[in-house]
Amino acid sequence: MEMTRKANTSTLVRRIAVTGILVAITVLLGTLPVGGFIPFPTGVNATTLHIPAIIGGILEGWPVGWLIGLCFGLFSFLRATSPLFKDPLVAIIPRMFIGVTAYLAYRGLKRVNELLAVGVSAAVGTATNTGLVLGIAVLRGYMDISLAATVAATHGIPEIIVAVVITVAVVAAWKQIARRSGGSSV
Amino acid sequence: MSTFEFLRYATLGQYVPVGSLVHRMDPRFKILAFALVVAAVTFSGTYLANVILLLTVFLLVALSRVSLGQALQGVRPALPVLAFLAVFQVLLPPQTFGGEACNLIWQWGFVELTDCTLRFIVVSTARLIELIVLTTLLTSTTTMAELAYGVEGLLAPFQRMGVPAHEAALTVTIALRFVPTLALQMERIVKAQIARGADFGTAGRFRFVKTTRRLLPLLVPLFLAGLRRSENLALAMEARGYTGGKGRTRRVKLRARPADYLALAAAAAFCIAMLNVDFATLGRALAAWLGQF
Repeated sequence: MEMTRKANTSTLVRRIAVTGILVAITVLLGTLPVGGFIPFPTGVNATTLHIPAIIGGILEGWPVGWLIGLCFGLFSFLRATSPLFKDPLVAIIPRMFIGVTAYLAYRGLKRVNELLAVGVSAAVGTATNTGLVLGIAVLRGYMDISLAATVAATHGIPEIIVAVVITVAVVAAWKQIARRSGGSSV
Repeated sequence: MSTFEFLRYATLGQYVPVGSLVHRMDPRFKILAFALVVAAVTFSGTYLANVILLLTVFLLVALSRVSLGQALQGVRPALPVLAFLAVFQVLLPPQTFGGEACNLIWQWGFVELTDCTLRFIVVSTARLIELIVLTTLLTSTTTMAELAYGVEGLLAPFQRMGVPAHEAALTVTIALRFVPTLALQMERIVKAQIARGADFGTAGRFRFVKTTRRLLPLLVPLFLAGLRRSENLALAMEARGYTGGKGRTRRVKLRARPADYLALAAAAAFCIAMLNVDFATLGRALAAWLGQF
């Protein structure tokens, strides 16, 4: 039995509840002074706001990941103060795919090793966010390709590391996946 | 300890409770009209179009009886970003903007300013101001609950095609309901970890690894507490007989009035006009006409 903590509720109701709570966490990380953004030497902040979409996609499937991503996009569009994210095409569309690609990566690798699948899925979800945001930014003329590639390297990679660490810790603890090292589950 | 009062950050939008034409609009129609105007803003790239858009946006502010200061409050944090971007655009070697011919209008050493770059800077500044004021306008004339009902109402026709309209609206309602609860939870986690000797806050731009490591004992418990709460919530919803959207009735029924249709038609006409008029040619004609005097 892999999900020992799951109450015996219908999929639909649980999905609604999980989505709602994870969207609330996204909003919270975006508004609180601590948690959502990590200041970087480049002057732009790395984000953790996409992690709820990844976790939702892994735990409850792609519709949940999609909806959390959509809400994240709408939220970031409504609150944005930079021209880049005040463009609905940049703010909303890429975010809808975070949870979906994360789910697909997780499904594909789950049989091999569940913990590895979670880690790869977090990396894929984050790369989807970074790649699509920068890709659409280039298409819309906000930056040229070389600048986008630099941002992808300086922010995409640290964001992937942060997302992988947090997602693996949360999903492993929640699903109580045994780790080789043993010890505490959080 | 005031730094730990997370509840005061957990506000989303600032609803201004004054009655106005815009406040009274059916949220479904308001969202649609908003989306149309945003589309017009997103795809307008000329000086003249943005002048018209700015005027339209401020007309909307006047109509909704939101004070100008309130409507513009989102613009202030954007100013440094805009200044940075403008300087950046000028310092970079001139871009070609889709192969269009650009004329050099100012040069100082290797710094070159072409008319294309200037237009890019001015238009993106205007566009940002328009979008910020528009979104502030939407959130200050519509409560979050109304927005959720509006989205549900708009998606309802697609429910038969499998779009989970009711479920999506309920999700948003749950999210809004739990933001303060989770803010308190987060506050408790931060205090607990500090009591155990943890250090929070950012460690400075150049020590981002440290900042990131400080986040872990915050975010992991937050997610786990949230997930646990969602299990309890699902159980509670089922215990109260919730089985999905079918056959549910609502306390608040949205009813569109003629004024709503009128406003939507106006927004649609405006959007179509903005997207189809050739503002580059019109702008040149206008400049030539003004030049006669």
